[in-house]
Amino acid sequence: MSSKQNVFEINLDLPDEKLLELSRKIGIGLSLDEMKSVKNYFKEQGRNPTDIEIQAIGQAWSEHCCYKSSKSLLKKFIFNIEAPQNIFVIKEDAGVVEFDKDYAYVLALESHNHPSAVEPYGGAATGIGGILRDVVCMGAQPVALIDPIFFGPLDLPYDQLPKGVKHPEFIFRGVVAGIRDYGNRVGIPTVSGSVYFHPGYTGNCLVNVGCVGIIKKDDIIHSRVKELGDIFVMVGGKTGRDGIHGVNFASAELDEESETSSRSAVQVGDPITKEPLIHACLEANTKKLLNGMKDLGGGGLSCVVGEMAHAGGFGAKVNLEKVLLKEKGMKPWEIWVSESQERMMLAVSKENLKEVIDIFDKWDVNAAIIGETITERRVLVYYEGEKIFDMDSEFLTGGPLYARDVKVVERDQKDIKTQAPKDVNEILIKMLSDPNIASKDWVILQYDHTVRGSTSLTPLYGDVVNFSPQDSAIIKPVEELNKGLVVSTAVNPFLLEYDPYWGAASAIDEIYRNIVAVGGKPHSLADCLNFGNPEKPERFGDFYQAVMGLNFATKDLQISFSSGNVSLYNESMIGSCPPTPTIVGIGLIDDVNNKISSNFKKEGNSIYIIGNTEREFGGSLYYRILGIDGGIAPKMNPENLIHYSKVLLDSMQKGIVKSCHDLSEGGLAVAIAEMAFGSDYGVEIELPIIKDMRADEFIFSESNTRWVVEVKDDKEFESLFTKNKVPFIKIGKISGKKLVIKQNGVKIIDAPIEKLRDKWKNAIWEHMG
Amino acid sequence: MKVEIKVGLKEGITDPEGLNIKKSLKLLSFDNVENVEVKRSYVIEISGKDEKKIREDVDMMCKKLLINPVIHDYEVEMIK
Amino acid sequence: MQSGSIWGDSMDRSEIKVCVLRIEGTNNEDEMYYAFKRLGASPELVHLKDLKDIFDYNCLMIPGGFSAGDYVRAGAIFASRIRARMANDLHKFIDEGWPVGGICNGFQVLVELGVLPGFKRMDYPDACLFLNNSARFECRPTLLKHENKGKCVFTQNIPKGEVMLVPSAHGEGKLLFPREKEKEYFDRLFENDQIVFRYVDKDGKYAGYPWNPNGSAHNIAGICNEAGNVFGMMPHPERSYFDKNNNGISGMKVFESVLKYIEEK
Repeated sequence: MSSKQNVFEINLDLPDEKLLELSRKIGIGLSLDEMKSVKNYFKEQGRNPTDIEIQAIGQAWSEHCCYKSSKSLLKKFIFNIEAPQNIFVIKEDAGVVEFDKDYAYVLALESHNHPSAVEPYGGAATGIGGILRDVVCMGAQPVALIDPIFFGPLDLPYDQLPKGVKHPEFIFRGVVAGIRDYGNRVGIPTVSGSVYFHPGYTGNCLVNVGCVGIIKKDDIIHSRVKELGDIFVMVGGKTGRDGIHGVNFASAELDEESETSSRSAVQVGDPITKEPLIHACLEANTKKLLNGMKDLGGGGLSCVVGEMAHAGGFGAKVNLEKVLLKEKGMKPWEIWVSESQERMMLAVSKENLKEVIDIFDKWDVNAAIIGETITERRVLVYYEGEKIFDMDSEFLTGGPLYARDVKVVERDQKDIKTQAPKDVNEILIKMLSDPNIASKDWVILQYDHTVRGSTSLTPLYGDVVNFSPQDSAIIKPVEELNKGLVVSTAVNPFLLEYDPYWGAASAIDEIYRNIVAVGGKPHSLADCLNFGNPEKPERFGDFYQAVMGLNFATKDLQISFSSGNVSLYNESMIGSCPPTPTIVGIGLIDDVNNKISSNFKKEGNSIYIIGNTEREFGGSLYYRILGIDGGIAPKMNPENLIHYSKVLLDSMQKGIVKSCHDLSEGGLAVAIAEMAFGSDYGVEIELPIIKDMRADEFIFSESNTRWVVEVKDDKEFESLFTKNKVPFIKIGKISGKKLVIKQNGVKIIDAPIEKLRDKWKNAIWEHMG
Repeated sequence: MKVEIKVGLKEGITDPEGLNIKKSLKLLSFDNVENVEVKRSYVIEISGKDEKKIREDVDMMCKKLLINPVIHDYEVEMIK
Repeated sequence: MQSGSIWGDSMDRSEIKVCVLRIEGTNNEDEMYYAFKRLGASPELVHLKDLKDIFDYNCLMIPGGFSAGDYVRAGAIFASRIRARMANDLHKFIDEGWPVGGICNGFQVLVELGVLPGFKRMDYPDACLFLNNSARFECRPTLLKHENKGKCVFTQNIPKGEVMLVPSAHGEGKLLFPREKEKEYFDRLFENDQIVFRYVDKDGKYAGYPWNPNGSAHNIAGICNEAGNVFGMMPHPERSYFDKNNNGISGMKVFESVLKYIEEK
């Protein structure tokens, strides 16, 4: 092969240390062993690789693309959990699950952590762009966006900021603006998410992005070619130098230099190219003109061509000079691995080609014919007639697999006896103004969550300008059906840091509770596992523990993971992020008009707590505020979760329950306050005497599988729950304008709702203004 | 030829963006910030050499798209 | 427009053709389409490039979204493209009394086109929907009081004084007039019965933020032209169809009103 086309031979006949140096120098981040197996492959071929070939291997074998550290664990403990409603899960960019007899919904969840740490606005925006493509490439119309995001503390003093790290406030502001500007412009409602602040995210923020789509079952399309002679048509944005080596960047720790050295790894989003691209792709698919469709994400053309051809049982031949470029003078390998945004690859048979091109013309979207499938299972790339790439797709897409060393850090947990605090009121106020509990309206109201006109329950909902946070959002995705999709997210990094196993199990408990709280039946899950460097046995031990916790909690639920993503190396010079297995859950509700919201509805109605409250304070907000490190992490029992949920849903269907909120951080006290915030009412709670527990402990415990409900008919409620042996306690009623909690006639909390609401509403605004 | 068009708000129009940026700068303890004005600048490359004609075209561009006369003023600078 | 109804002069609902105009970035067209479809009319999603003759339709609707990314200024690019393509036809369509409505970004487009408030025919804007006082995009429910005495063809079916819960979602919704004509213009709006919706609180009073999400003078949320057939509002009646639990089904009355008007025209 010549260098006429700006393609160079890479000499691999090198000693070990030079091989490793080469990997670093050309920015592909392969380990020595990996470089050696590349060397052996080309030795067998009797030649050296070209630069474009070795770059392609660098892309395909990155942690981000081939999951080399996590795959064996996930296969064994996560992806083997089955559920009958799954149609097509895990194997492609998004999971497909049955919605009703004619429709399916599509779920995808991903991380965009590293790009967002370097360039928050662009990184977050392109995260949204990427997840939308994952859903569109199954042929589905996106109907909802989900954004769990994690940052360092907003009040971090500037002089404590490590060199090369941006202030959490700056990153937070940029990420929210990026999600807002992309999501709002493309017209898909952002309805669910979470915001966490924890010192462990200071050097490495997490930006997870999820998307739900809806599709007629007949229209589901796969990310693979179908037959010999299928034409590859590349559509959407042009290809530029932006986003080169994004996946390699995502598979390394961040350091001081990351900002300057990785800037080119961040792509630039263009929602106004994306919007017609979505229309055009969906129109071509609905007209049955496509054989396959896949988005260009991590690894760009290099990954998409090989994977589409390989999955269809064929090879591919590409003419690289046909790719439309943003800038002149790009080298072939740069074109091949560029991660420029807003691009999709279609596989089209010859007879449909003209019609497909016409559709893209109509929408003013670029379409270029760049290659075709071939019988031999190889990827061949030509540039102006000259062959510059020739590799077998098995080797290219194979990638290494590792069984990383696992070191489980034992967590010795004991119950701690504490002194009763003097001023419980003050503790509740501290909780409500903790940024992790405080109202996220600064974020949520910037996102358009009602566009498409199908949002039936918004993330903040209540009495017009006063609102309660809702446990889930509800979308009505199909015009002719009243059936709804319930969308929620859950993970508590403080709990996972304290105990990865029970923290992960608790995330499953919480997602289930969240969905049930609005009247939904849990139906499927997606996970985005954000962890530190897997080459460090303790980090991988956390990963292992969390995976085992997810497995324990999920295996009997009859709902399973339809889609997932692993993001490792979330680590900077100041340490790893807390273990963060973000969970997105989807539930179904038969009629969106039967939704239950969390805000109080009517003065005089009774308040009940459902479930058992235990002395579980490990990783709790209460102990954080008291400055105590210790206690027992909340456990969960999947059988109870299923049973309690079933009875609660039954009581909702009977119309007995008027509002409902799950108990999570800050326990009962925070939940009740939040229910009052979206109403005009206060609440009077009279706690019974509870064995082994003080009143303050009872109201702040974070035990799993609990809800608070507002009940219209006490007798009917109590008889239903007693009959079904679900534990409950009547604790008070909606009344007045204050939050009052008493035990034995002694008030431990007594504060006007207005005052508590102000504390809760203003905490984040005070930083972000 | 390159032309720079700077579009700003007419005098007396309250500028919420400027006010918010001012507030944020103050929060970052730049106490000496008196006022922030936000302007949008368009640098447009135009073929041809007739400056008078180009200036007329630029005025039409502003009128037809780039400004809303209710709130905006603009300045034009010819850059060679 | 020929009448095809068996009852003589009035049009049959299903014959009413509504043009929902789109370009890249308009992204509220589907809900706008369904708002008319659910009421039995015949809406069509029409790309500006493909629009042959506006007189093929009985009503022109400009949906919300971020037309052309809202780059330059909200609605400005869409407006200049409409003007370049069909300015004369549009004025004729309006002069003949056919309804033209714009929601959110569509309202911004109508203002940029100069057809709202429409005191005189002009080819540049005479008003502005300016950045919210909060300087940010906000998506929140708003309460609107219907103020029109019967001129606006989009609200003729809504009793004056009725309060409706309608979602808002915009960054630029504050109605501004040229400073030197501000008082005159507002007076004219009130005198001419061109005020359609105003933001109110739960007691029906004209209240400040957040009840008025953008700081619009006189809490104005929606206006019409002097003839009452061109109408724009910032909040989204097409999004409030399903929220039965929150007294929010009233958005459909806007679409019902304009269809009634066309039926009887």
